Amino acid sequence: MSADVHALIGPWAVDAVDDAERALVERHLAECASCAQEAAELREAVWRLSDVTVADPPPRLRDRVLFEASRTRQESPAPEPPAPRLRRHRGMPRMRLALAAGALAAVMAVVGGIVTWSVMRSQAPTESDRIAAVLGADDAEVGTVAAEGGGDVTVVRSDALDQAVVVVSGLAAIGEDRAYQVWMVDPDGQVSAGVMAPGERSATMLVTGLGDAELVGVTQEPAGGSETPTLPMVAGVPLDA
Amino acid sequence: MPTIERLLHDTALGDEHAFARLYDEAAPRVYGLCLRVLRDPAQAEEVAQEVLVEIWRTATRFDSRRGSAGSWISTIAHRRAVDRVRSVQASGDRERRTAYSEAPGYDAVAEAAAVRLEHRQVRRCLQTLTELQRQAVTLAYYGGHTYRQVASLLDTAVPTVKSRIRDGLLKLRDCLEVAR
Repeated sequence: MSADVHALIGPWAVDAVDDAERALVERHLAECASCAQEAAELREAVWRLSDVTVADPPPRLRDRVLFEASRTRQESPAPEPPAPRLRRHRGMPRMRLALAAGALAAVMAVVGGIVTWSVMRSQAPTESDRIAAVLGADDAEVGTVAAEGGGDVTVVRSDALDQAVVVVSGLAAIGEDRAYQVWMVDPDGQVSAGVMAPGERSATMLVTGLGDAELVGVTQEPAGGSETPTLPMVAGVPLDA
Repeated sequence: MPTIERLLHDTALGDEHAFARLYDEAAPRVYGLCLRVLRDPAQAEEVAQEVLVEIWRTATRFDSRRGSAGSWISTIAHRRAVDRVRSVQASGDRERRTAYSEAPGYDAVAEAAAVRLEHRQVRRCLQTLTELQRQAVTLAYYGGHTYRQVASLLDTAVPTVKSRIRDGLLKLRDCLEVAR
């Protein structure tokens, strides 16, 4: 079903769906941060189509609208969004623990020779300890995704510590003028979590303050990183898996 | 000149003067889009009025972290115009509507765009789409058709139309460099 819903995001963005489908898509977007991001991007492209239809309305419309507005009460602001959506221990805990144990071993192997992020150097004295604390946390949850072009991205997160360890391993080779960048994606957009050194293909980083992030994404950017991610993502690891 | 975001923000605080300026900025876009989709000046004026009053009423709900003001405004306008098309269809006026639907093709769009320098970007970007992508996107957006109706107009399978619309929009997004 979710594949069907996903295929409707394009038609939804141009209002080419019926009411039931619209509701279905919007419910899906509320639960899938990466889909919501794609949908928002499509919308930003779609509205530009109205650049070519601009036309002057009849002058009388202005007075009517302003008069109508003057006697229309404005809505109250939307309620605060629901609490962060990171899911905790729901369904099949045993299976997850087994998976976690295996994945943790893999992460430990990588972290054994920690490659420190340039942006994290100032915190170097305690960083290894903090990474170890996340990996060893009782509530640690692990997700791994194969990256486009090779390598993989593993995220270990602890809600209790409100921290996550991101391990980027063996991504596709890039030139010295390019760099991989890690993003935390939440329903409202994304923030950069750090830029890897130019040409670097593997790294480990600690992210503090997960908020309602739903996805850890990796993109390829010009050396030094970008303000906004260049799509498509090289990899995206859902945090609610 | 304050940005549309700023005007929308001030409007949300109940500032009628800001709303009047927002009207001047946004009304041609709202009215023009309604006119394109509805193809009837009287209906376009009516729907544009509803849209602009809705913008006043719900400005408090606009959240700039979720998208631009232009996108927010155009989305409301397009949705209202399309709702009107659908309700007209539902009330048995389908044939008149369908007769219109053959007309709004890409050529008309391209021609209108050609006379406006500032529209070159959209026009150019539409040209990066394949023929089928462009037809699917423009029939859906400017024609106000559902993807099923687009499939029938283009005599193409429904799943193909769904994916062509998405692929076309992704191309448009990349071309317009709106990736966030």
